[in-house]
Amino acid sequence: MHHILVTGASRGLGLSMVEHLLAQGNIVLGCSRGKSPFSHKNYHHFEADVSNEEQVNDLFIKIRKSFKYIDVLINNAGVARMNAFALTPFKNMRETIDVNYAGTFMCCQKAISLLRKSTNPRIINMSTVAVPMNLEGEAAYAASKSAVESLTRVLAKELSSFSITCNAIGPSPIATDLIRGVGEEKIARLVKQQAIPKMAQPEDVLNLIDFFVKPESHMITGQIIYLGGIS
Amino acid sequence: MTHNEIQSLVFAALELTNQSREDDAQVPIASDTPLFGKQGHLDSMGLVALLIDIEDMLQDQDIHISLSDERAMSAANSPFKNVSTLVAHIDTLLKGE
Repeated sequence: MHHILVTGASRGLGLSMVEHLLAQGNIVLGCSRGKSPFSHKNYHHFEADVSNEEQVNDLFIKIRKSFKYIDVLINNAGVARMNAFALTPFKNMRETIDVNYAGTFMCCQKAISLLRKSTNPRIINMSTVAVPMNLEGEAAYAASKSAVESLTRVLAKELSSFSITCNAIGPSPIATDLIRGVGEEKIARLVKQQAIPKMAQPEDVLNLIDFFVKPESHMITGQIIYLGGIS
Repeated sequence: MTHNEIQSLVFAALELTNQSREDDAQVPIASDTPLFGKQGHLDSMGLVALLIDIEDMLQDQDIHISLSDERAMSAANSPFKNVSTLVAHIDTLLKGE
């Protein structure tokens, strides 16, 4: 039984993670900007915007008080707004960087002291195939996730002395809220470029989470694993 | 917190640090002990671990401050140069809280 913190836990992939991890008997702490529609005896929800430093501080203070430590941090909170580069408002770019990169950065930083108390501490970040594919219309999103990938590799080195592994998952298109605004035709074209030309399922991401969390994965760090055979 | 209380807390954190170090790598518990940089006893990750321990101890007293500082790795004016500069740094942060 682990203490696992999932950010962006109230819907989509984050909610699938919460349900999956609870089914394994873990204690799951989730956060999102609003309330969660979900309830379970081992689920504890916190309202926090990961792009807000003060709220992230408060989140970790509350977690420390109630749970003392965490074993796994899953930085799932993210925003994606597809738009042509020339038409992307500066504000949207800023928000994308703030949530996807700065939010991940702050949560990783605040989690170190709680993770150090675990015997198998893990950080799992979320990237995307939009990074290696350099997808058109995703300048802000892909750049924010590229930054998350660099962060993942650097933290793998800096946190190894605390036995904290840090890896990232890069899902190929999955039918979640995040890609709701992307046209079906565009998604079909993307999927066709994959070695495995199929839409991914949330279970494909959950499988990777299980892999990274396993104690046997203690030598796996600084890795970005993409679904669908993208490299 | 008084200056002496902060120093005692830093000493306690250093004792914790020493628990995970070999006998020949013990950090002297004294106010003039160089911590980081030239002649410092800690490498960058050792320093990070010490600072996290101190933040943890402060949180146990319901004091929530971050010891991070942009001058951390500066050879000339790092607040983590030695125990007394670290104590002064914490003192300043607490006063500004």
